[in-house]
Amino acid sequence: MSESIPPVLPLELVDKCIGSKIWVLMKTDKEFTGILRGFDQFVNMVLEDVCEYEWSSEGRLITKQLDQILLNGNNICVLIPGGSGPPQET
Amino acid sequence: MQAGSATTTEKRNPADFLKQVVGKPVLVKLNSGVEYRGILACLDGYMNIAMEQTEEHVGTQLKNKYGDTFIRGNNVLYIAAQKRGKQRKNE
Repeated sequence: MSESIPPVLPLELVDKCIGSKIWVLMKTDKEFTGILRGFDQFVNMVLEDVCEYEWSSEGRLITKQLDQILLNGNNICVLIPGGSGPPQET
Repeated sequence: MQAGSATTTEKRNPADFLKQVVGKPVLVKLNSGVEYRGILACLDGYMNIAMEQTEEHVGTQLKNKYGDTFIRGNNVLYIAAQKRGKQRKNE
């Protein structure tokens, strides 16, 4: 067994995203985009220039702008580096 | 690779963020969607929160006002730093 690929820890990948835009999908029907400022061992995240996306019961997209947040890592499901958020419908 | 692309690439961990916002106006959103605006008095590693001058918002409506509030950390979705002038649009 030759190890040709150097191992990269998952959180190393997240660490590389610090300072750039990230798209966060929550366990529930909720998403966030923003600039990643930092995170800890629980993947609680500090985000800046945040946009929060939520879907109403009628399926309408609700967005909310936030300056700077600490997002609880408990409900985070997927992180997409460089992601610009869900596709906007017109 | 991405050096210089961001405006400020200085690292700010959750602990640094919390140090910065204690004693300042914050917006705390719970998993249920209910929002609490007020002064962040103190908090711990579980994200248990004590707040002062708390306003309870559901959707865009102001539902209640409390002097002091304790929020159990497991309910917290996020803590947002708030600029005092910015938060008045709902009233």
